[in-house]
Amino acid sequence: MESHHPLVERLFRQEYGKLISILTGIFGPSQLELVEDIVQETLIAALDHWSFNKVPDKPTAWLVQVAKRKALNELKRNQMIQQHHAKMVWDEKATSQELRLNHEIEDSQLRMIFTCCSPLLSTESQITLTLKTLCGLGSKEIAKALLTSESNINKRLYRAKETIREHRVEFHIPSGADLEKRLKTVALSLYLLFNEGYNSSTQDETIRKDLCLEAIRLTQLLVKHFKQQPSLSALLAMMCLHSARFDARLDDHGAIILFENQDRSLWNGELIKLGMFHLKNSIGGSELTSYHIEANIAALHCSAPDFEHTDWPTLYRQYELLYQLKPNPILLLNLAIINSRIHGLESSLTELEKLYEYKVLKEYHLLPATQAMFYMELKDYSNAIPYFEKALALSPSPKERERLTLKLNACQKQLPLS
Amino acid sequence: MQEFLLILKGDGMNHLSPDELQNVLSDYQEWASALGDRYLAGQRLQESGSLFTTKESAVLTDGPFLESKEIIAGFFWIEAANLEEANQIARSSPHLGLYQIEVRPIAFPKMK
Repeated sequence: MESHHPLVERLFRQEYGKLISILTGIFGPSQLELVEDIVQETLIAALDHWSFNKVPDKPTAWLVQVAKRKALNELKRNQMIQQHHAKMVWDEKATSQELRLNHEIEDSQLRMIFTCCSPLLSTESQITLTLKTLCGLGSKEIAKALLTSESNINKRLYRAKETIREHRVEFHIPSGADLEKRLKTVALSLYLLFNEGYNSSTQDETIRKDLCLEAIRLTQLLVKHFKQQPSLSALLAMMCLHSARFDARLDDHGAIILFENQDRSLWNGELIKLGMFHLKNSIGGSELTSYHIEANIAALHCSAPDFEHTDWPTLYRQYELLYQLKPNPILLLNLAIINSRIHGLESSLTELEKLYEYKVLKEYHLLPATQAMFYMELKDYSNAIPYFEKALALSPSPKERERLTLKLNACQKQLPLS
Repeated sequence: MQEFLLILKGDGMNHLSPDELQNVLSDYQEWASALGDRYLAGQRLQESGSLFTTKESAVLTDGPFLESKEIIAGFFWIEAANLEEANQIARSSPHLGLYQIEVRPIAFPKMK
């Protein structure tokens, strides 16, 4: 019996996405259901074969070959071979040439991205379908990641496939005037996919990280293909620079600028480098997108040698720009916090109190948390305590709860016993 | 030594996600290598095929013809000292839970 090397982690999942894309190229997006069945069978065949035999040196080539054979059988069986989709040449030799195979995989994955992010589908469906087909997540896993039920996900997938069939959504890479518009849809979908991972309240860290990494992987694919699209580079830069701080586990909705003692040694240097590289490439377009600004903001945080030396005035201007493009009240909270570093805590506290008129902020734990921290910094403990209590009542994440409770206790110790 | 057929029934793996399938793989590899020489052959079967019940009956092609839990998914042909050992092999199989496993001694053992 052969000895087994452990497979690359998540190999099946990655291969699933590749196989789905390649077979969709053969059968067309309207046959997605059939394609999924064949790919599932292929993975089960691999499971059987690789358990009793050596895992092949090039698992991808093995899988593509098996999947294509199954596809060919299916085409023969249903006499589908005459259909125009089948003209995508059956070429067994292709699988033996790594370069050609890689090209085929990337090309089909790109087409698949555009198919999944068809403007005919809701953004929600785009994300779900992308996770299912391109990222190889199961319905149960998607449900967990998107905080909904498995049956919801199945329904969503079913309807998405129906829409694709009814409208004969094509499997191609748009060009010309259409391209810009379609790329915007794709970018937004990948941006939201990333945010699902980065800002999700799901406690499962692995899944959150997975979503971020998948969004990065797909965006990388786009950036590689569309070199003249600065907004895509900006999007990728933003994803890398955010992910770099994933293990420090604080989001950019106030937390990062509020909690100064974030452990910078947990930041991922490689991702920061990659992010900065793509940020450089994002300069020079005619359009300043919100991705550019978000990437800039993340870069300012990443490049500050420590919290005190953050470039507050520049950061303030970037957030102002972002607020003009995306008037989200949470950005006002960020602006008020940054302002405290420029014009002092008192002036900021006055601003913060006014923010309660925004409904989103009224229920957002970081608003009272910010006020509490500022009062604490001013040694005004009796004012800090009620705000800490208010923040704790608004269900912060466990990690933030821990921080806030510690601070609350520290304040209480400062007060004379009554 | 006696020979046995382990018959697997059901469609257990059709619903697993790629991650879940990969997790089965390492258990499967372990089981296969523990079996060693006692493993003689094994095959997975496609779900569709033909079913004849009488000489006159028409061929049913596009199966599956049975309830999914009754579909024969595949078989292992193994060698074991006795039924007890064959049962133990079946019980330790990573397929159990995903499939039902029927353990059947081969009626006429080879003369050795």
